Amino acid sequence: MKLHPLSVVYRTGTAVSRFAWVLVIGAVSTSQFGGLGTGAAVALAAAVVGVFAYQIVYVRRFDYELTADTFDLRSGVVSRRTREIPYRRVQNVDVSRNVLQRALGIAELRIETAGGGETEAQLRYVSDDEADRIQREIGRLKRGVAEDETDPQPETTKELFAITARELLLLGVVRVDLRLLSFVTVLLPIVIPSVSETFPLLDLLRAAPLVLGGLVALALVVSSAAAVANYYGFELHRGADELRYRRGLLQEYSGTIPLDKVQSVSVTENVLARRLGYASLEVETAGYAPGGNGNGSQSAVPLARRERVFDLARSVEGFGEVSFQRPPRRARTRYAVRYSLVVAFLTAVSLAVVRFTPISPPVPALSPLVLLIFVPVAAHLKWANLGYALTDDHFVAREGFWTRTTRVVPYYRVQTLVESATVFQRRRDLATLVVDTAGSQGFGANDARALDIDVSRANELRRTLEERFQTALVATRAENAGRRNRRSRLSGSTPSDD
Amino acid sequence: MSDEPVEPAIRPVGERDAEPAVRRVDQSDDEATAAAGEDDLPPVSALTGPERRLDPRVRYQWALGAVVGAGIAGAIAAVAGLFLFDDPVTLGGGAFLLLAAVGLVFAVLRYRVWRYEVRTDSLFLERGVLTRVRTVVPYVRIQHVDVSRGPVERTLGLASVVVYTAGSRGADVTIPGVTPERADDLQARLKQLAIVAEGEDAV
Repeated sequence: MKLHPLSVVYRTGTAVSRFAWVLVIGAVSTSQFGGLGTGAAVALAAAVVGVFAYQIVYVRRFDYELTADTFDLRSGVVSRRTREIPYRRVQNVDVSRNVLQRALGIAELRIETAGGGETEAQLRYVSDDEADRIQREIGRLKRGVAEDETDPQPETTKELFAITARELLLLGVVRVDLRLLSFVTVLLPIVIPSVSETFPLLDLLRAAPLVLGGLVALALVVSSAAAVANYYGFELHRGADELRYRRGLLQEYSGTIPLDKVQSVSVTENVLARRLGYASLEVETAGYAPGGNGNGSQSAVPLARRERVFDLARSVEGFGEVSFQRPPRRARTRYAVRYSLVVAFLTAVSLAVVRFTPISPPVPALSPLVLLIFVPVAAHLKWANLGYALTDDHFVAREGFWTRTTRVVPYYRVQTLVESATVFQRRRDLATLVVDTAGSQGFGANDARALDIDVSRANELRRTLEERFQTALVATRAENAGRRNRRSRLSGSTPSDD
Repeated sequence: MSDEPVEPAIRPVGERDAEPAVRRVDQSDDEATAAAGEDDLPPVSALTGPERRLDPRVRYQWALGAVVGAGIAGAIAAVAGLFLFDDPVTLGGGAFLLLAAVGLVFAVLRYRVWRYEVRTDSLFLERGVLTRVRTVVPYVRIQHVDVSRGPVERTLGLASVVVYTAGSRGADVTIPGVTPERADDLQARLKQLAIVAEGEDAV
């Protein structure tokens, strides 16, 4: 199969726009030295024609094919590359189209497999229908249904979730980038004095809330716009053995999340969303997801009522009711000590600044000590949001106050178990157990972990998890073998109800 | 289609069935671990072992690393001392001696803590002076096993075994300070144990 003919035009356009700055410089320099005008114009025209010719050859020599069990790709103008991707190894098939591509009726398709940060197959560009067809076909071929047979589970996709206008707007509010606000609060004391100098009417006290209010409003608008642009018309469907999503206003994304490759699911609620009773759901597969946040997890539900999110999470990974166990109370003491040390450090810095620099703040140098009031509260909140649980088939861990994340890892997906105890943890007989899964590219950032639990409990937990992992492995293997036997006996006519 | 990882990715349907049975026997001579079935492998109990410590010489490897690191830090401190106090010796020498002493103590302590065990279902490691870490790597999850020998290790007659998994901490699992024979043996054992564990899909 070949790429869409219009991709030559689009590819030339993107390539030319990439060296548009040369055009600008060229135009400026020619206006200075009048004589060079025609020469430069000819050179540029030649470059554009060259790019166009290259793209024609590229598109002509780009060839892909869906065989019985691999997706084959032949590409390259100077050095040729042939690539075969077994369907079984395919993690995600993602399609994206921006406004211009939609006007031309073309789409970009990417196929992701586990391992390797880069996309394994990238079709730039195919027609809309062809992209949908490839996405569907790969899903079908993965299930091992031959072409001439009728698919026993044809496109009976069930809609699991569709975002409402209310949720979309709430998403904008809830996802306000707090980093922006913290940046503003740091910047404000620096900006305000100069502003009050130029406009004497605006003194510090009156201007600060005004500016802050204005910036919060601005952050809200930006964040809402981003939410609307990214998640407009979000829909999640459940196919035979994959989830499909579609989202986006200007740039439209659609993608698949294979259910049999799910490594973990996590429910995220930041402090605001929690207050309003909302949460979001992310599903992590081992592939790299371009539409996601770059670490292999994909937003399966951007925002919905908390109960709804947990129901959906349970439909992906069937974990039952979870009753969390908290770390022992001495962990809380540990956090109190840690935060007190931070306050002490801040006070020391403040004292040093007043002592050794000419800056004299309007408040006493010891004022950071006021923060000590919040230390017990902060320590308690951190502790109260921690928790872990073992259900029949899953390890569940929860942590975070500002953004509380509940991670669910099936025992079967455990890669390694790491039990660690720092010097400070050992002083209090505490330890941390990390349950590592495949796929998360961010180093350790996405691991499910039981933080600061009793050291003997951590030990016990490690043994239990290892045992349950082995049991789950045997069970899954038996299930797969049964499925294979069934499939070969019926020669693929009725794949099991997986 | 079978899901064995050793199977080439592309294979026309039905080729497996058409394969003559004799070929397997031929293969099992030179590719014993890759192509043969479980019956050709030694029993798991023969592959596992008791808890082991590293070779004592690993202390010299770590000590050397600590001294070199202290030397670099000492040189930087000496330059700083030269510019700030016009005296490179006190600051540089002090930093070097302090860091080298700490490094040497750590080398000894690290050796005392380090343990590894080739268990029935998983590889178990315990290590760390300040942060004590215990890692469990189920054999099913092993992607591949490397034996590496750096210049210092070669001089001391040591090697490291690196076990890779698909997890985000994949390269974290390294067993340093084993003799080359032991490293090769460990690599072979782990490979066989991974085959016995029959990793269907490591991801």
